Amino acid sequence: MDNVKQALKECDRLLRKNPNHLSAHAMKAYALARLGDTDAALEIGEMILKIPKSAANSHVRQALVLTYKFLRRPGEVIAVYNAAQKHLPDDESIYTSIFLTAASNEMFSEQHQAAVAVNKAFKREKYTWWIVVSLLVQAQFEKGPGNAQLQLTLAQRMAEKALQDHHVTNTEHLRVLLLVLEAQGNHEAMLSALSLDSPMAQQIANDPDLVTQRIDLLVKTCSFKEAIDAAAQTLDARDNWIDYKLYIEAVIGAIKQSAGDPDAQQQVLRDTCERLIKWSHTRGRARGAQLATVELAAKIVISGFNVGHELGVRSLGDQIWVYVDLFQNKAICYSDIMQYFVENVREAAATANSNPAISTVLLDFHSKQLSQRIQQVRQNADSSEDSAQAWVNMEKIHYLLQALRGDDDPEKWIDGVDFFLKFGLDSKNAKAKQAASSDMVLLACQRLIQATFLAYPREQQKTQGFLTRSIFTILCVLEEGIRLNGENFLLKLYAIRLYLCLSCYSRARTLYDSLDIKHIQNDTLGYFIVGQGLALGCFIPDLELSYKGVSFYDTAYVTIPHELESAYKNGTYSNIPDFLEFNDNLKNSFQRQVSHRCALRNETIEQGRSKDVVEVLETTDTQSIELTDSVLALLHDNRDFKVMGLLTPLDMAQCNLEILTRPTPVHSVHWIRVFSLLPQAMHYMAVADVEALEAKKDQLISTVAEAGDSLSVYDKKIVQGICFIADIYTCLLGNPSSVDEKIDELVKIIDTGIPDEETADPKPTDLSKLPFSTIRDLAAVTEIFTYAVCAKHAASRHNLPFSNAFGFALTQLRKKALRCIPALKSWSNKSARSAISDSWVDTDRPMLLSDISQHVRTKHKQALDTVVKGCADSWLKSAKGVLAHWEQCSL
Amino acid sequence: MATIRRFKAMDLFTVNNINLDKYTETYPLGFYLSYMSQWPDLFSAAESAGGRLMGYMMGKVEGKGELWHGHVTALTVAPECRRLGLARGLMRFLEDASEKTYDCYFVDLFVRPSNKVAVRMYETLGYILYRQVIDYYMGNGVMPTEYAYDMRRALPRDVGGKSVVPLKHPVGIEETFF
Repeated sequence: MDNVKQALKECDRLLRKNPNHLSAHAMKAYALARLGDTDAALEIGEMILKIPKSAANSHVRQALVLTYKFLRRPGEVIAVYNAAQKHLPDDESIYTSIFLTAASNEMFSEQHQAAVAVNKAFKREKYTWWIVVSLLVQAQFEKGPGNAQLQLTLAQRMAEKALQDHHVTNTEHLRVLLLVLEAQGNHEAMLSALSLDSPMAQQIANDPDLVTQRIDLLVKTCSFKEAIDAAAQTLDARDNWIDYKLYIEAVIGAIKQSAGDPDAQQQVLRDTCERLIKWSHTRGRARGAQLATVELAAKIVISGFNVGHELGVRSLGDQIWVYVDLFQNKAICYSDIMQYFVENVREAAATANSNPAISTVLLDFHSKQLSQRIQQVRQNADSSEDSAQAWVNMEKIHYLLQALRGDDDPEKWIDGVDFFLKFGLDSKNAKAKQAASSDMVLLACQRLIQATFLAYPREQQKTQGFLTRSIFTILCVLEEGIRLNGENFLLKLYAIRLYLCLSCYSRARTLYDSLDIKHIQNDTLGYFIVGQGLALGCFIPDLELSYKGVSFYDTAYVTIPHELESAYKNGTYSNIPDFLEFNDNLKNSFQRQVSHRCALRNETIEQGRSKDVVEVLETTDTQSIELTDSVLALLHDNRDFKVMGLLTPLDMAQCNLEILTRPTPVHSVHWIRVFSLLPQAMHYMAVADVEALEAKKDQLISTVAEAGDSLSVYDKKIVQGICFIADIYTCLLGNPSSVDEKIDELVKIIDTGIPDEETADPKPTDLSKLPFSTIRDLAAVTEIFTYAVCAKHAASRHNLPFSNAFGFALTQLRKKALRCIPALKSWSNKSARSAISDSWVDTDRPMLLSDISQHVRTKHKQALDTVVKGCADSWLKSAKGVLAHWEQCSL
Repeated sequence: MATIRRFKAMDLFTVNNINLDKYTETYPLGFYLSYMSQWPDLFSAAESAGGRLMGYMMGKVEGKGELWHGHVTALTVAPECRRLGLARGLMRFLEDASEKTYDCYFVDLFVRPSNKVAVRMYETLGYILYRQVIDYYMGNGVMPTEYAYDMRRALPRDVGGKSVVPLKHPVGIEETFF
């Protein structure tokens, strides 16, 4: 920044000598833009562009383009180039710059016009493709009413003409043509473009994706025989799952086509079986061919055919087990076959007119098959890594079958977990860091979590402490697993979740940081922890993390347009729709909104310590967080929920461990709306706009009413608090007589979250409450208190009467907090560990996981100590974070 | 079972089961996108039958004259998808393109010597240790600072195998730029 200031001085010096020095003016505009003086920069830019021929000067042009790019004003960038073009009509680079600026900023109409202009002026093959791609993306991505069909028709004509004129010279051109045709559903024409007689035939043959696309098109156009031949030919040369799938689809299509001709149907199946057998005997190809046989059996069931048995195609159930028997020692086996178990149970019931008895019969069949195998693989698990892996796969199938059966008996879920733990934590395999051992620990924890949340539903059991004790026990198992094999990130992800369920931010954060999560992962994995520090009193760490997220999105704002430009320059056009979709997903990312709102809240909390906070609130950009329903409807949820290695389909909510272990607050659209409205309400207090403040308050109330359970009790409490603050502020401005009553209500709500003086040194039995509510409640009222202090500063600034009374009430609250929170801090520091030992470890109260707890206590003391320390230290850090805030947030 | 296909930008939303592995670096967005926009046919993904990403490989072509070669920038497979021959399949994808589309002399790659499983795999695929590169990998708190093995395999165009005659002394990073 110092260099920029120096540059500005230099520009001023030059301008003093020569006030007409246009380059110096342009450079000054850029320096001012970099220094944040946008208005002055824009004013200079406007002034320069009014001077004839100014943009024809390359130095001036370059500086102005930099300025407008920095200010994210692509329209002005194009205006600079347009001004230059009038004086430099033969400069090709100006034409292309206009095109690339429009293209990289998704100004589709301008992009198309620029493509036409550059093509008309310079007639190069590449510019023809720029027009075609412009029309394609305009049709696909332009918001609002457009004329997509016309644009696609034009694009098709141009691309087909290019094909006729032999201007389709590489696979990227061909891919663009295919994209245009696909957008119109013109499969016949696509197939023709991929014809084996085309001049591009060799290039198509060398491009595996195009080979597959051709087979897909043959299937889509019901040319099943040709599709079978093409797929078979491809599969003779390579082992690619999508080709197998298309092959089977073509086979099923051919059988359907031959309805009424059983001989023809048998022939198709016979050929298929022979080929599958041939491929399964080829070295390294068995897995694909066998899975294709399962796929064939599945599709035969769905199609309702009664063919194939005599040719060796077994029932789907039998075929699944053939596959499992062959590949049970591969880690991927379960992932490959899971969908077929689900399909088998669900589809069979569906095709039998939703007869649930069919599902039960099939589940019984699979359970019987499993029980015949599982005992043996368990006994052999120690013998080799392959055997261990086989056991892991069988246990995963066991888990799935239980879930599909809807088993709600917690005891059945923990049955056998002791064996898992012996193997995963205590065996020689475990000491050797064998992958299957870690898998077994994870599987044990998944079962324990499932059982725990079935036995102790969160809302009902919080206060009885069983849920917390169970979670604590599972954490001990996870920590031991992590100690033995720190490379298993799934164990860490589950541990993060469970620590947060116990309000332990610090340990969860350490584990999160150890995963080295960055860049795009802020968008996909940030949900694991962003906002949790805020909810647990660790405001500064949460602010840092929110900033990390926000800065990633800022970087993407620059990076993606740059790469869109590169794709056009390099002629890799097929990337462009993908890049645009990706950009849209990031620009309208759900997690982006969450990170931004968390950053805003944390900033307000941070700045709430200073009386200058009112000035900051006055300048809050309320425009950018004014979210309408249509904006919220456009949000993309890029969060990666599958990363937790779930063993059941995502739609089985009762078995979805990601959902079961979600800590509060759960971020939802309502959450985003609430925390967009809240800073707006604070802004209107700062500027003393009561009408707007009332409107925001009403919106907050209606959002909470709409949200139902999708907002946590703490978030609802914060909204309640801000509504009381708004009422107080309104009273101070208009009706001071009822202000005392409102202040009392606010004090009451904040007071409920400050630990009681008498119980500030909680007895061990209180431990059931602390991990769930004490810290979260305290953090929530700390936030409310901060907003109240901000409102008080705003009232004082506007010299509102009775603001001193408001201040006095807050001062009394602060005094109480400063007496009680240190007690919580001291307890976390000195007594938390012994309280954990008394309540969660050395207790005789029986619970579901008593045996596991006993096992951990006797055999895995180190892990137990880690969790005890992790919990106590985390609570201490939360207490310290909150206390520091109350200390510094003076009136 | 895997489908090997071109990597797409949208895949970046679902690479976590691969990238959370400690040997796999998550790069800034521009790094992935620049490979896609320059060498889309050398950036491939392996997708499971259930639609999950199992691994990916980023590659490029560079060099002049007899140094014109394919380079493996990143090759990674999710932990649960190892021992399936997936890396081999992805390598073949790049080797085929380097040979048939780009007519290169050789393919090369850098690997951490501590990643013994990977080194062994490359050896079985016919790669030899061509040279060591001093402090190529910088420590990041999770992984240590380390030398790199620069491993190579000659393609048919390098008839005499000139590209795979090992160097006797380690080189600095600056000597690895083409």
